[in-house]
Amino acid sequence: MFTGDLKAARQSLRASRWRTNFTMLGIIIGITSVVTVVSLGEGLKHQIVGQINQLGNDVLTVRPGKLLSKDGKAGNLNIYAFLAPSTLTMRDLESIQHSEVISKATPIEFITNSASGDNGEFDNLFVAGTTPDFADTLHQKIAYGAFFSEDEDNSGTAIIGSDVAGRMFGVLNPVGETIHIMGRDFTVHGVLAPTQGGLLSLAQADYNSSVFISTDDANKLTAGHTNILQILARIKPGVNINHADLTLNSIIARNHGGTHDFTVLKPDQLLGVTSQVLDTITRFVSAIAAISLIVGGIGIMNIMLVSVSERTREIGIRKAVGATNRQILRQFLTEGLVLTISGGIVGVIVSLILNLLLRLYSGWKPVVSIWVILLAVGVSVAAGLIFSLIPALKAARKDPITALRGE
Amino acid sequence: MALIELDEVSKVYGFGDATTLALDEVALSVGKGEFVAVMGPSGSGKSTLMNVIGLLDKPTHGNYKLGGQPAAQLKPNEQAKLRRDKIGFVFQFYNLLPNLSVLENVSLPLAYKGMTPVRRAKRASDILELVGMRDREYFFPTQLSGGQAQRAAIARALVNKPSILIADEPTGNLDSHDSKVVMEVLAEIHRQGNTILMVTHNPELTRFANRVIYMYDGMIVGDERTAIGQMARGARRTYFNRRRRTDEEIAAGVSALLKDVPGKEVTAKAKRRKSTGRKRGLRAKATRSRR
Repeated sequence: MFTGDLKAARQSLRASRWRTNFTMLGIIIGITSVVTVVSLGEGLKHQIVGQINQLGNDVLTVRPGKLLSKDGKAGNLNIYAFLAPSTLTMRDLESIQHSEVISKATPIEFITNSASGDNGEFDNLFVAGTTPDFADTLHQKIAYGAFFSEDEDNSGTAIIGSDVAGRMFGVLNPVGETIHIMGRDFTVHGVLAPTQGGLLSLAQADYNSSVFISTDDANKLTAGHTNILQILARIKPGVNINHADLTLNSIIARNHGGTHDFTVLKPDQLLGVTSQVLDTITRFVSAIAAISLIVGGIGIMNIMLVSVSERTREIGIRKAVGATNRQILRQFLTEGLVLTISGGIVGVIVSLILNLLLRLYSGWKPVVSIWVILLAVGVSVAAGLIFSLIPALKAARKDPITALRGE
Repeated sequence: MALIELDEVSKVYGFGDATTLALDEVALSVGKGEFVAVMGPSGSGKSTLMNVIGLLDKPTHGNYKLGGQPAAQLKPNEQAKLRRDKIGFVFQFYNLLPNLSVLENVSLPLAYKGMTPVRRAKRASDILELVGMRDREYFFPTQLSGGQAQRAAIARALVNKPSILIADEPTGNLDSHDSKVVMEVLAEIHRQGNTILMVTHNPELTRFANRVIYMYDGMIVGDERTAIGQMARGARRTYFNRRRRTDEEIAAGVSALLKDVPGKEVTAKAKRRKSTGRKRGLRAKATRSRR
């Protein structure tokens, strides 16, 4: 009987093709937006996870401000900590470097977001000052040229990320070219190997679109007012990460007169902080996208109501030949379900295409997980049941004789 | 034991000043194998009687037993099952579903019974053979002539082997040739032992029946048994005296008479005058516009 319902649903939906397609469009848009938003969020999370994994399991990140509440859980993120000027100093860096639990440590001093090269000015860069230890601390590979060196004078040179090389100079290897930062010229000394970059990462910068200069040059550019965004510290092999965490905490607190106006983040905490921010944003945007799904569902309900009153006579005939209320109910529910499920499937396909296009033509790297697809299909089934229930009940409860008269 | 037993069945429509008494304490008993023709002017309650017997409508008062079982006060779903298994309907305007092929239309009651598609297609096919519509199985209702559509509708009514076939003016929308074909099908079904209730305005059709009931203002005013092949005497009277009106009838209301037998006769004549070649197209158009 169920296959019969399906067939009947297909037939009657095909009979009013335009109406069916436009009704489905509402669901398609809803499902597409939900799936796309969720997979964009998922993609960002993947990128950040990748970045943090690349950072390594034995790198501690020291950030200015008290990011986490007392219990140390990532769940209680203190957003104001991001807004304050840096509380970290070069003295903190030295103390960390001299600690017996740390092998290498390097600062990241944010300077500006714009620089210019052959292809004009770019203002979505991460221009930062750092020390020669950066490459060793992060095990960062160099594609062309070389990183800063302890033995040479690094002033006037810059190391750029792979994206910057492509965008600013249009070549893979722009070593020797000139880059302008805040009115000064720097010679490109090296190009970083591509990393798993992130678009939106509160904890980590995207090194692919970074320009690094030496800390001395950074000091000159900012007249000594450099802002240490973070200090990355690699733990000595064999040292327990929690022990290292506590040690760093006490060292820096001593420098700061006992004040804990900084945060030492272990890799998993880093992940927690970023994914929590990301989850919040994804949830918020998904909620907005879900509204379009609800609107689509209400569209279905309206069309089904129209269809039920248009097909009053059909309902009457079906009842006259012996259809029970339940059978009529099932017929219209099936119709609603066919409508929403096919809308859901088309929506998933459209969002897959959209994701592919995003991957090809933008920096976004959405990830469609099987769960998102299952969620979309589940939501369309639910929408089909919920929004065609009222019309279907209306159809089922029609009095046979009045329905036959077409009233 | 009679197949259909109505005991003081009344049906009231509306309320207050607008109350209409469609059936007025009707008592009727129909046995198995009878072919009952129901006659009477429009608004005399013929269709209401058919709908009550066919369980499409509930009587306001009185008892109705179908096959010895009380049927009028059953729950909607039980009535639906009785309609499916015991009653076959043939309507004036065929009432075939336009989206379904003839075969699908005919097998619809079987589908609601839960029969497998293969079995119901075979059964529907057999019944279509019986009404001479086997070669039109995969046509859609709009592609059929009136007579063919009505024969398909009869096949649908018969497909569940019902105890009663209820036909509400089955030839009301057909020309004389199609009427004849349809009536012959009904006569054949009757010969096979089926019970038929047929509403008609055409006295000629009483020749097919072996009992004629006359209705007026919701009451049964005449009940006559006739031999098959003979026109009922009461029907003959309305047939020959149709242009004369008694004082009573005039007092009963002009509106009822306007829709009476003579009017029907005029349209039938008008149809006959049209050329047979154009007729089909015109009818198809009329059918479409009704939908």
